[in-house]
Amino acid sequence: MNKIIMDNSMGQNTAVPALAIRDLDFWYGENHALKSISLDFPTRQVTGMIGPSGCGKSTLLRCLNRMYDLYPGQRATGEVVFDGRNILAPGLDVNVLRSRIGMVFQKPTPFPMSIYDNIAFGVRLHERLPRADMDQRVESVLRRVALWPEVKDRLNASAAALSGGQQQRLCIARTIATRPEIILLDEPTSALDPISTARIEELLDELKQEFSIAIVTHNLQQAARCADRVAFFYMGELVEVDTADRMFTAPHAKRTQDYITGRFG
Amino acid sequence: MSVQKTLPEAGRGWQRGGAQAMRRRLVERLVSMLCNIATVIVLFVLFSILWTLVTRGAAGLSLNTFLHSTGAPGSGGGLANAIAGSCEQTGLAALIGTPVGMMTGIYLSEFGQDGRVVQLVRFVSDMLLSVPSILVGLFIYLIVVEPAGHFSGMAGTLSLAVLFIPIVVRTTEDMLRLVPRAMREAAYALGAPGWRVILGVCLRAARGGIMTGILLALARISGETAPLLFTSLGNLNWSTSLGAPMASLPVTIYQYAGSAYDDWVQMAWTSALLITVAVLATNILARWWLTRNGSAQ
Repeated sequence: MNKIIMDNSMGQNTAVPALAIRDLDFWYGENHALKSISLDFPTRQVTGMIGPSGCGKSTLLRCLNRMYDLYPGQRATGEVVFDGRNILAPGLDVNVLRSRIGMVFQKPTPFPMSIYDNIAFGVRLHERLPRADMDQRVESVLRRVALWPEVKDRLNASAAALSGGQQQRLCIARTIATRPEIILLDEPTSALDPISTARIEELLDELKQEFSIAIVTHNLQQAARCADRVAFFYMGELVEVDTADRMFTAPHAKRTQDYITGRFG
Repeated sequence: MSVQKTLPEAGRGWQRGGAQAMRRRLVERLVSMLCNIATVIVLFVLFSILWTLVTRGAAGLSLNTFLHSTGAPGSGGGLANAIAGSCEQTGLAALIGTPVGMMTGIYLSEFGQDGRVVQLVRFVSDMLLSVPSILVGLFIYLIVVEPAGHFSGMAGTLSLAVLFIPIVVRTTEDMLRLVPRAMREAAYALGAPGWRVILGVCLRAARGGIMTGILLALARISGETAPLLFTSLGNLNWSTSLGAPMASLPVTIYQYAGSAYDDWVQMAWTSALLITVAVLATNILARWWLTRNGSAQ
């Protein structure tokens, strides 16, 4: 295994990270998909994860909210420390975990209900709010994702009628409505047009004031634009992690260099 | 500025294909003609059935039909007992069959991790789907009618429910399986426990299809005759008691259509028309309801 090159000169690593992965291994049945990953996600920063298809970056994301629990045969060992607990440990309430670590998927996945209820659904899982407070929560998260002006007159219309970009912003609104501390984004713009993509990227910039963000992306320009730190994965291994600036101008590892210059991918 | 109206001479490229292109156009015309003919034949059969039903059935339709029970030939009876009996038996069968069928479908689709049990349930349910309905009637006769010593509306209801359930099981399972995995994961990712994902998101996404399945099942059992012959038997008088024999429209058709009395034959036609209209109306209503709720598929 290649030596992992960690950069400690940023100063941020001395602070407590929002999430710390230690020696994480992951298996899909017999397939060893992640090999001894250790990685920190600094608080209120955007951590980008890049690498060729099948390198394990989405798998890693799915470890962080225990999504793999849904599928028998998938298992993880090691530690993921969040708020003083190892979230991989048995006995942890995954529903509480998932309300604290939200996730946005590649394809917009509006639920088959109204725009309002799409947001209220998640909130109702964890809080009992009077109607007025719920209205307020819905409005505030929709404003947050800049969707409010477009939908304020049709909150009771079906969310399926929104455009792809609007749907994805609704999904982000839905996620932040449960007041998570970390947001995981799995290629959130790969199904969107360039304008919708730009709006979501702007949104990420704003959201990181409040949330710690982990984003998986195939789009290197997007990683360069949005991420503070970038981690490069290859064949289940974390090859290198560094600030976005240095990652794209002076990567240490040969494989990183090859990947970001487009020699493979 | 003048607009040029005539095109320049067509280029030689348009002659590409020659005889082969000619033949292709010919085949296309032929095939589409055949399709049109087939459609006309099917529509003709359908509409002639409907037309016969309406013309023959409507002749016997009057207020009397709904107010009076069946009576002796020539007594001017109606169909009130059969209408009420049909409504009661199909309605109750649907009331029993919908939750049982849906829950089984949910089990098959959502809790299908343990392969053996699921495969067995699915196999049995699919077998029930294709079992001749007369066997279901015999079965209920053996386990309900014979021990009780008499025919009853309850037995009729149960036999209809047995026919109803497997249709709902199959459509519920199929429709739930069509719900994208990403949508389920998105609900789980918000911290929803499994039952809320299923009830709040998956069933909602699948409700159009499940509703269609329930209606299909309703249409199927509202015309069933064979299972009712051995179970609720029929009743010439007004009775809504589940403990007594009960009249129904299909059984009335069966008993009256072959009789020697003109007014009984007329009543059979009217019964047939009523069943058809009822099934049609439920379909239209459901469609309207589904589109109004914005989940038409």
